[in-house]
Amino acid sequence: MAVHLRALAHKTWRTVASIQTGVVLLILVVILSAAGTIVLQRPVTEPDEMQSAYSPQALRILDAGGLTDVFHAWWFLGLMLLVSLCIVAASVDRFPNSWRYFSRPYKYPDESFRRALHPQKSLAIADEESGLVAAQRALHALGYKPERVVREDHFSIFSERSRISELAVYIVHASLLLIFFGTVVDGLWGWRGTLNLNEGQTSNIVELRDGTTRTLPFAIRCDAAGQENYKDGTPKKWWSRLAVVEDGRDVQKKEIVVNDPLLYSGVRFYQSSYGPNGKVDKLVLVATPSNGSGEKQEIGLALNDTVPLDADTTVRFAEFFPDYAVRDGQVYRKSNQLENPAAHLAVTSKSAGQDFDVWFPPMDEVADNSKAPYQFQATDLKLGHFTGLQVSHEPGQWGVWSGVVLLGVGLSFVFYVVHIRFWAVPVRDPKTGKYSLWIGGSANRNRDAFEQRFNDLVALMEKELKPVSRTSPSEQVVTVAGN
Amino acid sequence: MARAKAEQQQPTTGMTLIVLVGLSIVFLLFMAFLNVVKSGNLLSETNLLFAALIFYAGAGALYLGFGVTGTESYVKFASLATWLGLIANTAAVAHRWYEAGHPPFASVYEMLLSFVWTLAVLTLVAEKKYGVKVIGTVTMPVAIVGVVLMQLLRTDVHPLVPALQSTWLHVHVTLAMLAYAACALSFALAMMFLIQDNLKTETFLAVTSASTLAIYASVVLTRFEKWGGLSLAAWNPEAKAEVFLSKGVRLFVTVPDLGWLMTLTLLVVASPLVFYGLARWKNNESFLTLANRAVFLSILLQVMTLVMFVVRARDSRYPSLDADGLFPTSLAASPFILSGLVGGVFISLLYLLLLWRRPDLGRLLPSADNLDRITYKTISLAFPLLTLMIAAGAYWANQTWGSYWSWDPKETWAAITWLVYALYLHMRVTRGWRGRRAAYFAIIGFAVVMFTFFGVTYLLPGLHAYA
Repeated sequence: MAVHLRALAHKTWRTVASIQTGVVLLILVVILSAAGTIVLQRPVTEPDEMQSAYSPQALRILDAGGLTDVFHAWWFLGLMLLVSLCIVAASVDRFPNSWRYFSRPYKYPDESFRRALHPQKSLAIADEESGLVAAQRALHALGYKPERVVREDHFSIFSERSRISELAVYIVHASLLLIFFGTVVDGLWGWRGTLNLNEGQTSNIVELRDGTTRTLPFAIRCDAAGQENYKDGTPKKWWSRLAVVEDGRDVQKKEIVVNDPLLYSGVRFYQSSYGPNGKVDKLVLVATPSNGSGEKQEIGLALNDTVPLDADTTVRFAEFFPDYAVRDGQVYRKSNQLENPAAHLAVTSKSAGQDFDVWFPPMDEVADNSKAPYQFQATDLKLGHFTGLQVSHEPGQWGVWSGVVLLGVGLSFVFYVVHIRFWAVPVRDPKTGKYSLWIGGSANRNRDAFEQRFNDLVALMEKELKPVSRTSPSEQVVTVAGN
Repeated sequence: MARAKAEQQQPTTGMTLIVLVGLSIVFLLFMAFLNVVKSGNLLSETNLLFAALIFYAGAGALYLGFGVTGTESYVKFASLATWLGLIANTAAVAHRWYEAGHPPFASVYEMLLSFVWTLAVLTLVAEKKYGVKVIGTVTMPVAIVGVVLMQLLRTDVHPLVPALQSTWLHVHVTLAMLAYAACALSFALAMMFLIQDNLKTETFLAVTSASTLAIYASVVLTRFEKWGGLSLAAWNPEAKAEVFLSKGVRLFVTVPDLGWLMTLTLLVVASPLVFYGLARWKNNESFLTLANRAVFLSILLQVMTLVMFVVRARDSRYPSLDADGLFPTSLAASPFILSGLVGGVFISLLYLLLLWRRPDLGRLLPSADNLDRITYKTISLAFPLLTLMIAAGAYWANQTWGSYWSWDPKETWAAITWLVYALYLHMRVTRGWRGRRAAYFAIIGFAVVMFTFFGVTYLLPGLHAYA
């Protein structure tokens, strides 16, 4: 029974670690994410747009299958987990082999290896030593570091370069896992939301994506915000001057613009929008007495401000409508968009014991502006603005970015760093007693370019062998390197 | 005597094309010059692009001539023309850059400008470094379509909206252009591999017919209107924009009779496929001869359709089904139909080239093994570039939108492209996929790249609204 179970486990492991499984999973990811870009997705689509695009029936089916929110569906997450599992399994399965390859370089090729290797070449040599020296010199000349390998009864030459390349693919896979890990951490502990602030306002409540709110342990105050335009009127820059308030003190200040957020204790504040908040900051008026006896005066009023015009008369900025409509002598707020603004002033005269209503623009069916003791002329309307901030907390970011850097390094190793090995073994023919130098080489990628290099090496050795045969053996320096 | 004559003729026919192309280049440049004198504005971007177009077209014709006749001297002149086109193209890029104050990556037009530039550079590199001389027959027409599209999509210099004011924009887009151009090159190389790998000519016939059929089918299915009209998007020439009835709903005008013509062409481009099917089914080679004739006929009809389309859709006014009155349309309103039609003609012409000159092509191209290897090399160049492009985009998105990944369609499709090439690499490395299967993969990969580049922008709207 136990054997059975182990066999089953082994089989499962083989399946998960196999390249076929990986390919099938990746194809599934491709198909499902493509579906996620073609079917409208709930998180980024208005509900009524969804309804107009699909029939109720189709929508029910799509919703039930999670196809309207593919990238947050449990099965998509499950698929990504399976992909990670597959990467881990495939890497674990193949790693020991590669590690052995990496940690115990194969320095002395045995006979069967020598027979099978391509490319290889045999050169006739006078004796063992001259062949070894020629091989060392040729390798040196091409910039390799030859190593003399000592076996019980004979020597050989081994040289290699960029052994790390054998492990590059694991670096790539590890970096992908690191990225996945980062996104999972963000998915579990990260959050995103918005915070809209009027100039001067302080708040610590962020509205999250799902409609709930989150209270920060510190508050953000917007000291000023603004927009700069290009000549053609399109926005060039949005900026906000923000301050972080913690325990009643300003602990950090920064002017943020798009692409340059404020970071405080792991929470980032991004400039995302800017616009009028539908509130009035100041209404500037010129007031002239109706009886023509007094001076003109200019006054600035914030909403609900009361200002004396003379000893007897005061004016109060009573109401403001960003977009108004009049029905049955009443003024209504049509919307909060600054489309069609109206202002209501209340002028009080103590001596007359009466309030007069003044409207901008003048509305005869609501009130008669001319009855008031002062005539007003609105010269300027300064509007309040809000700044829209995106707020996000992504604790897994470090994983993502270090994964990305590692991925870049890994990929450049995978594609551009080649593990090259050369062997040179003097071989004695048992029948004739003559020596020949067996030269072999291997590269783990880009084999065609390698073959050229191998031929260069062989040509160089041939050249080295000629003068070597003429010099006396005593001149040669023998260095013996251990295995 | 006759042989001597024939031998004499060989170089003369060789010269004819060069002289003809040279003359037409000179003629077009002269006409352009007259225009310039009239407007008094010599080095404007339009003129530079026009010059680039003329040179690229000349280069394309010469490369094609080289493909057909194998005359070596064509290549020299073809690369000369490519060089000149590249100079004009570079000047246009520089002009745009100077005028806008930022590198030209901010709109589809500007990206095409950079894309065509990269493609021309890579063509020259492939030719000089790897000796793939005929590559221009594929890349130059792509460059020409690119420049024509640019003329249509040409936008005024828009200042950068706040989200685009980042160094990461330039990093991201430069990487994207390099990666996409490398993908385009791998596609062309994979096609050549298939030729060298003795893929049957009739298979190419079937693919050619199927792709042109797909083009016409998608036009007819989506745009055919009652009584044989063809609906095209209306165009507001002042605003240089499409006309919208309400948010997301475009106004279409109906061009009469064009629908019938399209349907007719659809049937004719489908006929080689039918004959091919018959030949396979009945095992009768004579159907293939018919199929090849049908391709020839389809080219004539396609050219006619293209001409009719250009004539009818070019800046005229037509009625609409959704609103009263006549509304203007323009070629600029239907860039995809236009490039589809041009692409169809081009694909069919390439097939004819293959049909007539297959043995010569085989001689001219590098060996299949080499092509396979170079394809792999370009992809191993494209893949890290794609990776870095996505990473740079993610970093930039994190700076701008507060999130490094938001599953926006463009992002998702970039990831899909990456996955497709990752699959290719895995298959190649672990399963030893070489040759034909690898070539098919390279072709699919490029199709996905094109969809990511164009398809997503126009079909799947999202955050990436700029391009």
